[in-house]
Amino acid sequence: MLTIKNIRQRYLSVLLALLCSLALLSAQTPAPREYQIKAAFLFNFTQFVEWPATSFSTDKDPFIIGILGDTPFGSYLEELVSGEKVNGHRIVVQYFRDLEEIKICHILFINLSQTTRLEQVVAGLKGRTILTVSDMAGFLQAGGILRFFTKNNKILIQINPEAGKKANLVISSKLLRLSELFVPGKK
Amino acid sequence: MAYHCKIAQPISMRYRLLFYGPSTIILTLLSTLIFAQAGDSLLPSSKLKKLSLEELMNIEVTSLSMQPEKLTEVASAIQVIANEDIQRSSALSLPQALELAPNLQIAQANSHSFSITARGFSGLPSSGGELSNKLLVMIDGRSIYSPLFGGVFWDVQNLMLEDLDRVEVVSGPGGTLWGANAVNGVINIQTKSARETQGLCVSQEAGMTSALQDITEMRYGGKISDNLYFRIYGQYFDQERSSPGDTVNRYNMAQGGFRMDYYPSKANTFNLQGDIYSGSENDLSNLTHTTGQNIMAHFTHHFSDQSNLTVKVYSDYTTRDVANAAKPSNYNVSTNDIDIQYRLPIGQRQSILMGAGYSYVQDMTNIQALNPENLPMPEASGFIQDEITFVPALLKLTIGSKLLHDVFTGYEVQPSARLALTPKKGHTLWASISRAVRTPSRFDEDLIEPTGQSLSPYGFVSEKVNAYELGYRLRLMENLSFSFSAFFNQYFDLRSLNSDTSKITPTLIENGQDAESWGFEFSGNYQATNWWRLRGGYTFLRKNIWATIPSVLPISPSFEGVDPENQFMLQSIMDLSKNFSLDLMGRYVGELNAIAPVSSSPTYFTLNARLAKRFTHLEFSVIGQNLLSAQHFETGNYPIHRSVYGKITYRF
Repeated sequence: MLTIKNIRQRYLSVLLALLCSLALLSAQTPAPREYQIKAAFLFNFTQFVEWPATSFSTDKDPFIIGILGDTPFGSYLEELVSGEKVNGHRIVVQYFRDLEEIKICHILFINLSQTTRLEQVVAGLKGRTILTVSDMAGFLQAGGILRFFTKNNKILIQINPEAGKKANLVISSKLLRLSELFVPGKK
Repeated sequence: MAYHCKIAQPISMRYRLLFYGPSTIILTLLSTLIFAQAGDSLLPSSKLKKLSLEELMNIEVTSLSMQPEKLTEVASAIQVIANEDIQRSSALSLPQALELAPNLQIAQANSHSFSITARGFSGLPSSGGELSNKLLVMIDGRSIYSPLFGGVFWDVQNLMLEDLDRVEVVSGPGGTLWGANAVNGVINIQTKSARETQGLCVSQEAGMTSALQDITEMRYGGKISDNLYFRIYGQYFDQERSSPGDTVNRYNMAQGGFRMDYYPSKANTFNLQGDIYSGSENDLSNLTHTTGQNIMAHFTHHFSDQSNLTVKVYSDYTTRDVANAAKPSNYNVSTNDIDIQYRLPIGQRQSILMGAGYSYVQDMTNIQALNPENLPMPEASGFIQDEITFVPALLKLTIGSKLLHDVFTGYEVQPSARLALTPKKGHTLWASISRAVRTPSRFDEDLIEPTGQSLSPYGFVSEKVNAYELGYRLRLMENLSFSFSAFFNQYFDLRSLNSDTSKITPTLIENGQDAESWGFEFSGNYQATNWWRLRGGYTFLRKNIWATIPSVLPISPSFEGVDPENQFMLQSIMDLSKNFSLDLMGRYVGELNAIAPVSSSPTYFTLNARLAKRFTHLEFSVIGQNLLSAQHFETGNYPIHRSVYGKITYRF
């Protein structure tokens, strides 16, 4: 006979199995909270910046988010963009050791240990349709396009619209409105 | 007053609830303990990537959860409903959103009337619903309870749920910090800043069954300069279009408003906001027309991280006209209020918070049941609170008192003391003793008979409560937290209805009752996986009201509140796939057992569901409320019907 006790036991064991598997699934390599949020920003930028059609040679080409230098994101960025697309282009994360390795790239997060190489790197990317992003100080002065900074414990964005124009990118008015605008020559 | 028939509750349902509740919680606890991992992985990527730029810009970097970390250390029974909890629920109005706080008691009387309280005293079960009078409710710091009866007219408290930041619900007295009427709790509703609500949001919701609302909402947020933001919004809903013959639930309203946030420098913030509305509804058999306008300015100066000064000024004007052919009546209230708060540290271990406020409330009526018909009600108050850290990161004491001067009763003192012990990170044990008062409302003090005789000839003093609380908050892991609180309240001088046979209406209003109540609240929040979150809680309440003078009528205890003993809610928030989400909310409320002739209500269990598909800028959702039965009774004599809605939202 199916008693209430039986039902209860069956229910409990199924639930237990379910919960255990869920708990295992949720185990993953952690990235610092700050970079989890920044990873989400990077993904979000794909919707507020327009890349020229020439930056893809075919419709099947992936949309590449590159990391130059050590990655602060762990596996979080990959996890976040997995299965996502930009105008039909699959998003792929690639890691670069130096400038020469970068063949095709749409968003480049620059994370260098020495800021001295910064201007060199930015100069090396001149004329390419890459949205350069970093949280390094002096990034926009050096000619970078977008910089994360922290104010009141929150992550905000600073934009160098001139640099964006030079890279042939169209930055949406919404992103501009929400960001602090960087004017060269002014701190 | 008529009894409505009780609907038989299947025994199996009650049984299922009994073991679903506790066993699920215990199992969840067990399995997470087994697989506990000290991860920093707290923001599920599936959730984070759906946030807008504005939302991303508003996440605290060092906090360990989506909510400010200090919440787990607060020495009170506070529950927070976050914007996401509301967006992922079936709530279409503010009272429905409040159902997401497990420590609130909510009963719907009809489309526009709700009884909302915490820890009991929900008021007389009635079709008006709004008689509970022991809660202080504020929207962005503007108090919204009516001096007419000490409760809130929930029909005129509408806002765009999309722009709501959070709702903090404190069960237990909050008199020291907040003021009079915070006897059983405080609801603090906060809207987002204009900066966080940039862009366009348009939504249209339409009902597919009778007795519901068609809501149109629109908001636009813009930026004037790098440090000046604004938003404007408008909303309109009309219940009559979808249910033409229904006179009880007829309800429509048009409302609009704005908010501006200005950040002139790092240390100063300023905002200005206002709303205006006009609506009508059926109130029993009469048509009531309501209007309101309010404007408020807030200024904050930060001297340092620990020290700041806040000045708040607001003006609020509301009208209610009841178009009763025999006896039309109107009730207008204007409120002008100023509050100043200053926080400063003393040495390393003390933080002082002090404040002063003055409010000038003036009402005007032609209701011939009130004497005087127009009454200015100035109120002045001051408070001081000291937070003393005895042992850093271990033991903290917060003591303080509020002193207020009220037009009816003179000076009132509301002291409180709270002790918080934090033996290790994520664990807070707290205890508190506090006293709070409910100052008289116009109903308590100024009601008169047709002959002009006062119903409260002996005057009315404030109702008082002494509250003893004990609580424990724990965050077991990043994704699992619990809160438990137990309380014992002693009430003195509660309102009573007394007999007086010498009069035409043989009733007097006096302070002829005392009461005791005790109970506990348990709540939890569990991010099970990166696509599934659960939050919910259970509340148990017992109360006993007795007469202190012989002439008290037997109906008196029911008049102050008929409350459920057991209450349980569980919300499930689930991302089924990349764009699909399924959100459920179940709510169990025990029976309302009133003394005849007051109407009782049977136990009910309701289920709300929401299925949504989200595209880049568009979101389609189907929302079902009270799905388990065609109709059920919550309070009063009108049934609440099952309803289904469709909604389209466009955000850019």
